[in-house]
Amino acid sequence: MDMKEHEITEDTLLKEIGKCRACRFCVDACSLYQATEGVESMAPYGRLQILKYLLDGMLEEDDPIVYSVYSCLQCGRCDRMCQAKGQNLEVSQLIRLGKYLLSRGLVKGRKHEKV
Amino acid sequence: MKSVYWTEWAEGLHLPRQGETALLTARMYQMLPYIMQVTSIVASVKPFLSRYGFAPFVSLGNRLMGDHVIRLKALGAEDIKSKGKNALRGIVSAVSAVGESPAYLYEDEPYSGVLLYDLGLDEFIDEHIKKVYRLLTSHSIAKIICVDPHTTFMLREVFPKYIQEFEIEVHHYLEILSENNEVLRKSCTRAIDQEFAIHDSCYLTRELGVIEQVRRVAESIGITLMEPENTKLDTSCCGGPIEYAFRDLTEKVSRTRIQELSAISRDLVVVCPICLINLSKYEEELGIRVWDVGELLLRALQPGQ
Repeated sequence: MDMKEHEITEDTLLKEIGKCRACRFCVDACSLYQATEGVESMAPYGRLQILKYLLDGMLEEDDPIVYSVYSCLQCGRCDRMCQAKGQNLEVSQLIRLGKYLLSRGLVKGRKHEKV
Repeated sequence: MKSVYWTEWAEGLHLPRQGETALLTARMYQMLPYIMQVTSIVASVKPFLSRYGFAPFVSLGNRLMGDHVIRLKALGAEDIKSKGKNALRGIVSAVSAVGESPAYLYEDEPYSGVLLYDLGLDEFIDEHIKKVYRLLTSHSIAKIICVDPHTTFMLREVFPKYIQEFEIEVHHYLEILSENNEVLRKSCTRAIDQEFAIHDSCYLTRELGVIEQVRRVAESIGITLMEPENTKLDTSCCGGPIEYAFRDLTEKVSRTRIQELSAISRDLVVVCPICLINLSKYEEELGIRVWDVGELLLRALQPGQ
């Protein structure tokens, strides 16, 4: 997915996240999921779901959500697993683009302006 | 920060200021003592940030004294400063040995902006990338030798997305050394003849595909690399990329990784300054030594240093 951050819209990101088949193989590959002993929101699949519901308007930003999304290591293990399982979703890139969309909202003066 | 600090590692090397090929440190190794202090301070004040009314005081304190406190505390970080300096000098020594004569931009040297990119701060990264590109082209640089995975990733993968006409060749120093490993082998004053557990960098392996190069280089200087659990493309992260804000999580991730590495050797080798700083903090506790590849290159090529 060769797109610059400012070319990403909420719709395009939702569409990309929608391609996830929910196989969850990325979950066990994630160092943070292991480090937190199985907290779903700290796994790639969990983060993608959070971003999906944020973009859909079903969730509102709060501290735990910011913690979950921004704590992604961007290490790419999830990408490798997704590729190995035949889907090739750039999971870490989607999470990073999610940060970009959240940052736009944050910088506009919402509660987490100084994060 | 006085510019002399960023450049003092290069004292005595007489690197030219101009040239078509430039070594780019992006100040990553030089920043290590300061990164340590900043993350330590952030972790200390974090519990207070969530308490009502404390945040403005913390913010004011930072504005008044933060810079001074960080610099003062960093004065004591001689060990990591020395590692960073030796790593850079070793890298220069090695690339010179295989025939490269890179220039160094000294006080003009820019930071790659990788943290802005990781945070998704596009409005800042666009401006920063263009500023860095103007700087590089003003120095007529056609080829860059990077010393760390993050800068290599930024210049090779991200910069071209923002600069259509970006044509600068970008190499990681291990790629250059690996292509000339026989020359490197002959340049060694002393083979190291020691075993090390290798911790691969996430960015170098998965983003850039630079995997076997460090192994060829290691073999050239007499090092035996031992592969830990989770290696090469499956390497585990050291936790470093999020330490600026999530030290609690970083510690859990890095502890798991250091246990995997120290299970097979007391001597570990890394190829990234962020991994170096993040894993070095376990040296005293576990009785291990974490080396950067650059430090080992210096040992092999200039044993007296």
